[in-house]
Amino acid sequence: MSTLSTLAGPGYPTRGPALREPIAVVGRNDAWDQVRTDLAECGTALLHARLADWEPDEPDGPALRQLLGRDWSRYLDIAHPEIRRRYAASRLLLKYAAGAVLAADPDELELSYGPTGRPYLRGCDQIDISLSHTEDLLLVGLTTLGLVGVDAERADRRLYGKGMGRHVCTPYELISLANLAEPQRNPALIRLWTLKEAYSKAIGQGMQFRFTEFGFGPDGKPARVHRPDGTPGTGDEWAFRTFLLSNGYCVSVAVYDAGFGRAMDTRFLTMLDEECVEAITSTLASGEGPGRR
Amino acid sequence: MSLIESRDGFLRMLRDELGMDLAEEDLFTGLDRLAVWDSMYLLRLITAMEEDSGRRIEVRRILEAGCLDEIRAWADTRGDRGAGGAR
Repeated sequence: MSTLSTLAGPGYPTRGPALREPIAVVGRNDAWDQVRTDLAECGTALLHARLADWEPDEPDGPALRQLLGRDWSRYLDIAHPEIRRRYAASRLLLKYAAGAVLAADPDELELSYGPTGRPYLRGCDQIDISLSHTEDLLLVGLTTLGLVGVDAERADRRLYGKGMGRHVCTPYELISLANLAEPQRNPALIRLWTLKEAYSKAIGQGMQFRFTEFGFGPDGKPARVHRPDGTPGTGDEWAFRTFLLSNGYCVSVAVYDAGFGRAMDTRFLTMLDEECVEAITSTLASGEGPGRR
Repeated sequence: MSLIESRDGFLRMLRDELGMDLAEEDLFTGLDRLAVWDSMYLLRLITAMEEDSGRRIEVRRILEAGCLDEIRAWADTRGDRGAGGAR
C-alpha cells in the first residue's frame, strides 16, 4: 500500500490529526487490536475489506436480521442481488468494527441516519463513523475526534475528459489538472473526487455541496480544503489523506478534530456517567421521580 | 435531434457514454435499485447530456430525480415530456 503521491512515505506530512494507512480486515475476529491501537493513538482508524470476506453466511437468515435491526426492511427492499450483498456486507463490517472498539456486541449497535442520510451509531456519540463501498471493496472510518468521511474508487476508473472536470473541479483545480502530463490527469482527478466525497460525507452534505465550490491542492503536499480561487478554506482542525491500496483502489479520508481531545475509553457502557446513573437511580428509588406525585 | 428527446436515444447515450446496457423498463427503476449507479455515473451522464443538447444542466435539480427517465425528462427542457408521460 502507498499514498498516492510519489513523494509519499511513512513521513508524509498531513495537517491536523494523524491518519494511518487503512488496515486490511479479513475475518470476523481479525485485526481489531490494530484498529483499537490506531483509534487510541491517532483518534481515527481506517479499515478495508473484500466484499467476499464479509458476506453474511445466510443472506436471509435470522442472524443477519438481528444484526441489521432497523435496516432489515430497507435491506429486503433492495431488488438487485449485487447491491443487497454490498449493503449487508458493509453493515456487517461496520458493526463488527464499531463493536470491537466499543466493546459491544455488534447486534446491540443501531445504525441510524441523519436528515441528509449521514449514518451514525445511535446512542454512541463518542464515535463517528463513515462507510464506503465500491465493486468488491468495503471501507470504514471510525474516529473519536469529531467527524470522519471516507470514500473509495478504483484508481483506474475513467473520469477525466469531455467536460467532466467542469462539474467536479474548481477553476484552480482545472488549471492544475491541465498543467499535468496527460497520463497523470485521470488519477489526479480520481484523487480529487475521493477527497471531495470524503469531505462531503464528513460534513453530511453529499452532492448537495457542489464539488465546484470547494477544492484541494495538488498531490504531494498536505491536503486542505481550498476555495474556488485556490486560497485555503480550512485549517489544522481538518486532516485529509489519500492512499492507493495494493488492490488498485484509491481511498481518501477526511477527519475533523472538534477539539474535545481524544477519548481514551470508548467502551459502550462506560459512556454512561456513573454518578449521573446513581443520582437517577436513587431519585427513582426514593419515589421523587417525575412519574410519582 | 438531441438524444435525450427520446427514450431510445437516451438508452443509446447510456450505452455509448457510460457503458450501461439497459432496457427501457430500467429507465423507470429507482436509482438506488440499479446495479451500477453512483454519483460518478450521474456526473458523467450530466456531462454527456450537456454535450448532446448544447445546454448547461442544473445539477441540483437532477439530484432530485428518482429514476433515469426523470433525469432525461428534466434535462429535456421542452416541458411536454414529463417522466410520467406515455412510454
